[in-house]
Amino acid sequence: MMIDSTIVRLTMRQLLGQKRTILMLAFALIPVLVALLYRLNGDHVRHDPQEWTATVALARLVVGLVLPFTALVFGTAALGTEFEDGTAVYLLSKPIPRSTIVLSKLLVAWGATVVVVLVSTFPTGFLALSGEPQDGIVVAFAIAAVFGALIYCAAFLWLSIATSRALIAGLLYVFIWEGVVVNLFKGVRLFSVRQYTLGIAGELMSVPKRVFDPRLQGPTAIVLACLVTGVAIWLAFRSLKRWEIGETS
Amino acid sequence: MTEPIAPPIATEPTAPAAIEFDHVSRWYGNIVAVNDISFSLNAGITGLLGPNGAGKSTMLHMLAGFLQPSSGNVRVLGQPAWGNPEMYRRVGLVPERESVYPFLTGYEFVLDSARLHHLANAEEATMKAIRMVELEDAMGRASGGYSKGMKQRIKIAAALVHEPDVLLLDEPFNGADPRQRLHLMDLLREMAANGRTIVFSSHILEEVERLAEDVLVIVSGRLAASGDFREIRKLMTDRPHTFVVRASDNRKLAADLVSDPSVYGVELQGNDLQVRTSEFAAFTRAVAGVARRADVSIFEIRPTDESLESVFSYLVKR
Repeated sequence: MMIDSTIVRLTMRQLLGQKRTILMLAFALIPVLVALLYRLNGDHVRHDPQEWTATVALARLVVGLVLPFTALVFGTAALGTEFEDGTAVYLLSKPIPRSTIVLSKLLVAWGATVVVVLVSTFPTGFLALSGEPQDGIVVAFAIAAVFGALIYCAAFLWLSIATSRALIAGLLYVFIWEGVVVNLFKGVRLFSVRQYTLGIAGELMSVPKRVFDPRLQGPTAIVLACLVTGVAIWLAFRSLKRWEIGETS
Repeated sequence: MTEPIAPPIATEPTAPAAIEFDHVSRWYGNIVAVNDISFSLNAGITGLLGPNGAGKSTMLHMLAGFLQPSSGNVRVLGQPAWGNPEMYRRVGLVPERESVYPFLTGYEFVLDSARLHHLANAEEATMKAIRMVELEDAMGRASGGYSKGMKQRIKIAAALVHEPDVLLLDEPFNGADPRQRLHLMDLLREMAANGRTIVFSSHILEEVERLAEDVLVIVSGRLAASGDFREIRKLMTDRPHTFVVRASDNRKLAADLVSDPSVYGVELQGNDLQVRTSEFAAFTRAVAGVARRADVSIFEIRPTDESLESVFSYLVKR
């Protein structure tokens, strides 16, 4: 079986029974608060609410901040904390295929990230667009974020197996690579999970380009998203098969 | 590497040995942790003895499939240990680190272990394992609050839950109080009597002496000695010893001691007398009689090189 219910349950208790979840949910409310301020301040009268919601609230705050940071925390903690505290040995000394361990851990990290991101996406979007035409913007971002969460979690889960500095490596990727380098050099957008997510969101909504214009076309984003997810999961299988005690602990 | 004192435990010609190390080495960069070690083991208790940093844990980790040998082969129950999760159906592991999932109760920890082994009756197997380590009273408490000895016992219960044929334990008696230690030793003896292969590491000579039938002495990554523990113990005891003696008349005592057959060297050094003997037990029995006959009072007598490291280094030099 590809998913083991005991590993899923164990990982859920490990990840969700701690302060981490409360902090993540509090973090998810930042875009909601910004959207609330936007409405209370009357900015929606001066700016196009659809454009602001898509490009600022959902693209920058939810997809650019909440999604990668949440996925980084859950993706690296799902297995990384067990390497750090030595409990991974209990899991790895069982007759379970390494692929089952990876997929079970990924499922929990992905699920937890999706919950946090959706808690952020829907209130933010609906609040910012209240009384305005929706044109599928919020739903498109929600669906795209679910895919984005999977790609990020797979990549960060692999990182946590491959290196004991997964959190630092992940932060560098999110904030330096995606936040700075991708904005400076157009060509590297092909290596950005954020751009895949925005490309998928753009494909799913029916708004003019002046409202939301992602850097990647939908089909390209979907193909790259599938490819990167597949490669990250394969690398995670491979790294866990070759994992040696003392390597990352 | 020295020749084994006695052949390792005999292996049946028809069946593969439970554990086989075949010219195994493991290095980290330029550091050689385990150096060309070969042995085979079958049912019984084998102690892996050596000072800290000797390579015991590296050997156990290779046996447990958590380290890949740099060269050579490690086989457990006829299967390669590295990259073979199926091996764990018949192998149990008690790691040295005391970490357990702190949010799980002792019962849940063992039950999850049983479930991960896909045992048909996981609850029953869990209770049986917990009873074996006598932890029923604390099994409902979160294991994060357990004492070191309790964590050790719950780890052993989790490793035993699927009744493995091979049990590997890394420093299993750390933190256990004397009563728990005796109980765990009895438990391991019983398992060995039932045909299981048990390998445990320790840097404490007395632990190995009390439990192991056979011993592998590891020093600086090399197999310094292997075989029956009594033989190795005798070797350790009968190695040359140096005693420092302070007596009322060192010169007179020296003259009389030098004629004792257990003594091969006596030297006056300031206020002390250094006595070298090749027979530890015979000398300690004889010295009081020699002093009495010479009418000399002994104020102090102490061995100079009793650290475990010196014992091990003697075995390596042999």
